[in-house]
Amino acid sequence: MRTLSMLILTILFALNVTAQDANKLLKEVDDNLMPESYESIRKLINEEADGSKKEFTFYTVKKGKDKIAMLYISPASEKGRSTLRLGENMWLYIPSANRPIRITSLQSVVGGVFNNADIMQLEYSTEYDATYTKGTDTENILDLKAKNKTVAYDKLKMWITKDKKILRKVEAYSASGMLIKTLEFKDDKNFGGGITRPSLIETYSPLYKGYRSLMIYQTIKKRQFPDEVFTQNYMGRLGDLKK
Amino acid sequence: MKFPKWFIIVLMLASSAIVYGQENETLPFTEDEQEKKLEWNGNLDVKYSLFNMDQNSAQYKLQFFKDPPATSMLSQYRIEPYLNAEYRTNGLGFVLKTHASYYSDSNSRFDLFEAYASFNPSFNTNLQAGKRVYSWGKGYAFNPVGFVNPVKDPENPELAQAGLLSANFEYIKSISSDALQSFSFLAVLIPTTDIAGTSFGEFNNTDIALKSSFLLWDTDIDLLAYYSVNKPKRFGFDFARNIQDNIEIHGELSFNQNIEKFAIINNSLYNSRVDSYSYLIGLRYLDASNTTIIAEYYHTGAGLSMDEYSQYSEFLKNGAASSNPMVAPQTLNTSLTHFRGTTLMQDYLYLKVSQPEPFDWLYFTPSLYTIYNLIDNSFLLSFQMSYKPVTNTEFIFWTTMFVGDRSTEYGGKQVQQRMELWMRVFF
Repeated sequence: MRTLSMLILTILFALNVTAQDANKLLKEVDDNLMPESYESIRKLINEEADGSKKEFTFYTVKKGKDKIAMLYISPASEKGRSTLRLGENMWLYIPSANRPIRITSLQSVVGGVFNNADIMQLEYSTEYDATYTKGTDTENILDLKAKNKTVAYDKLKMWITKDKKILRKVEAYSASGMLIKTLEFKDDKNFGGGITRPSLIETYSPLYKGYRSLMIYQTIKKRQFPDEVFTQNYMGRLGDLKK
Repeated sequence: MKFPKWFIIVLMLASSAIVYGQENETLPFTEDEQEKKLEWNGNLDVKYSLFNMDQNSAQYKLQFFKDPPATSMLSQYRIEPYLNAEYRTNGLGFVLKTHASYYSDSNSRFDLFEAYASFNPSFNTNLQAGKRVYSWGKGYAFNPVGFVNPVKDPENPELAQAGLLSANFEYIKSISSDALQSFSFLAVLIPTTDIAGTSFGEFNNTDIALKSSFLLWDTDIDLLAYYSVNKPKRFGFDFARNIQDNIEIHGELSFNQNIEKFAIINNSLYNSRVDSYSYLIGLRYLDASNTTIIAEYYHTGAGLSMDEYSQYSEFLKNGAASSNPMVAPQTLNTSLTHFRGTTLMQDYLYLKVSQPEPFDWLYFTPSLYTIYNLIDNSFLLSFQMSYKPVTNTEFIFWTTMFVGDRSTEYGGKQVQQRMELWMRVFF
C-alpha cells in the first residue's frame, strides 16, 4: 500500500513538472512571437474558392496581457473602423456611426477564415493551459486546453521548433474534437529590435473548402502606451498613434 | 449655492489646462518625428428609388394637393457625394465631413456634417471645437439618452448625419482595478443663435451636456445630463454588457423635464409641457451560423397615445378633404413641422436579422428588419441585400412595405411599398 501511494505521488509530481515545463515553453513561444507591448502593421488577404481576393491593412497596438486595439488603414470602405479588446470585452467603432458598439469575440469583423480571436490574439499562455504530447525529432508538440469557455477554440495542438522555439503550426479544435482550422507560420523575418519571427500566417479550414486567408506582418516594433489608449473613448483617435 | 453659467464655462476650459499640466504622459510626438498629412476620403452614393403610393391616403393627398401624379408609381433618382478631409499633426487635428444631395440642377443641397478642430494635450485629454456628431446611447435603432445626437433614422442607423455646433472637453482615465477599469468625463457646450433674424444668441442660453462613462465589472455604464435654461432638462443612464460570449444586452433610461409635446385636439394644433420617461431594452445575439439578431423594445413617454394619434389622423383627413385651398398646405405644414419622423407613438419593437454570405453566396449579406408599432399593430417590414463584389464598391437592394389599416401610423403612410437600388463607391 505504501509503495502504491509513493508511486501515485511520483506520477502526479512528474505530471505536474511536465505541465509546468509545457506552460513555460508556451510562454517562451509567446515571447518569441511578440513583445508584450508593441505596434504593428499587417495585411490580411482573404482568398475565395473562385480565386478572388480581398485585402485589408491594419494598424495594431497591444499592451500587456489583455489589451489590444486595431485600426483599419485600408481599403477606403473600411478605413477608420477600429476594434478594441480588453480581456473578454470587445467593441467595434464605425466612423459613420461615430461610437463604439459592443460585439462578441465570435463576431467576425473582416470575414474569411480568420476570426476576431485570430486577428486580435492575446497571448496563448493567457488563454490556454499546455501539456506535452509526442513530438518529432525537430519539433515539440503541445496540447492546449482553454482556461475558460469564452475562448474561441476549446483545444489547440501546437508545433514548435526545438532549436529556436518558434511556432510553426496550430490546429484549432472545437470542444467536440472537430478540427476547425489550421494556421501555418512561415517566412521567418528579422523585424529589428531583437524580433525574429514568422512574417506570414496562412490559415485554411475544412469548414471552408477552397478558402484561404493570409496574414502578412509588415512591421512589428516594441512600443509602450498608456492604458488610456485602450479605452472606448480613444477608438476614434487611434490613427493619432501611427507615425 | 448656484454658480453663474459663465463660471462653469471658464472652469471647464481652465480644468483642461490644469489636467494637461498634471498629466505626465503627454503625447510623444515632436514636430520632426510626427508625419504631417492631409488625408481625403469619401464615397459617392447613386440611388434609384421606386415608390408605390397609396393615392387614397390623406398624407398623399396633402403632399400632392396641387398637381397629383397620374399614376401611383413614382420614381426618384439622386446622387449623394460624401467628401471628408482629415489633417492631423502633433496632437492637433482638423476634421471636415461634407455631404450633398443632387436631384437636378435646380434641386440640390449641400450639408456640412462636421467641421471641427481638436487638440490632444495628453493621452487623457481632448479638446474639440466646431461642428461635430455625438452618438450617445447604447441602442442600435433608438437612443432615448441621445440628448445631443442628430435625429436618428431607425431604418438606417449607421448613416452619417449632421453634427452639432459645440465645444467639448473630454478626460479619460484607465484604472488597474478588477472592478472599475476605466472612467471618462465629457462636457459639451452648445451655444445658441436664438435672437430671431440675427446670427446672435444670448450667452445665458448656452446649453451644457455632460456624460460620465465607466467600464465597471465588464459593463459599460454612462450617466448623462443636458442642462438648458429654455429647453427641456434631461437626465439619463445607459448600459451594455456581454452576458454570454454570443449575447450582448443593453438598455437606456431617460427623464425629460418639461418637454414640449404636440397633439391635435378638436382639429387644432395643441402644445403642452410634460415630464416624461423614455426607455429602451435590447439585445444582440450571434448564433453558430453567424446570424446576427438585434432586438429592441422602445418606449417614448412624449409619444402620441392611441386616441391622440386617431385625432391626428382625422386632422390629416379633414385637411385633405377640405374645399378651402388654404387648408391643405397648412395641414401639410403642421404635419411636417410637428409630426415628422418614423416613430410618432409610444411603444415600438425593432427586430433585425442579418446573415452574411448564406448558402455560400459570396459577398452577399441579406438582412430583414421590422419596426412594429405595439399600440396600433401597424409595422414596416424591410428586406435589404448588400453585395460587395470588389473592394470599395457596394450594391444595395432594399425594399420596404408598410402594413396596417389606413388609420394606423404605418398603414396611413403615403407610400405603400418602396424599392431602392444603391451603388456606393468609396475612395
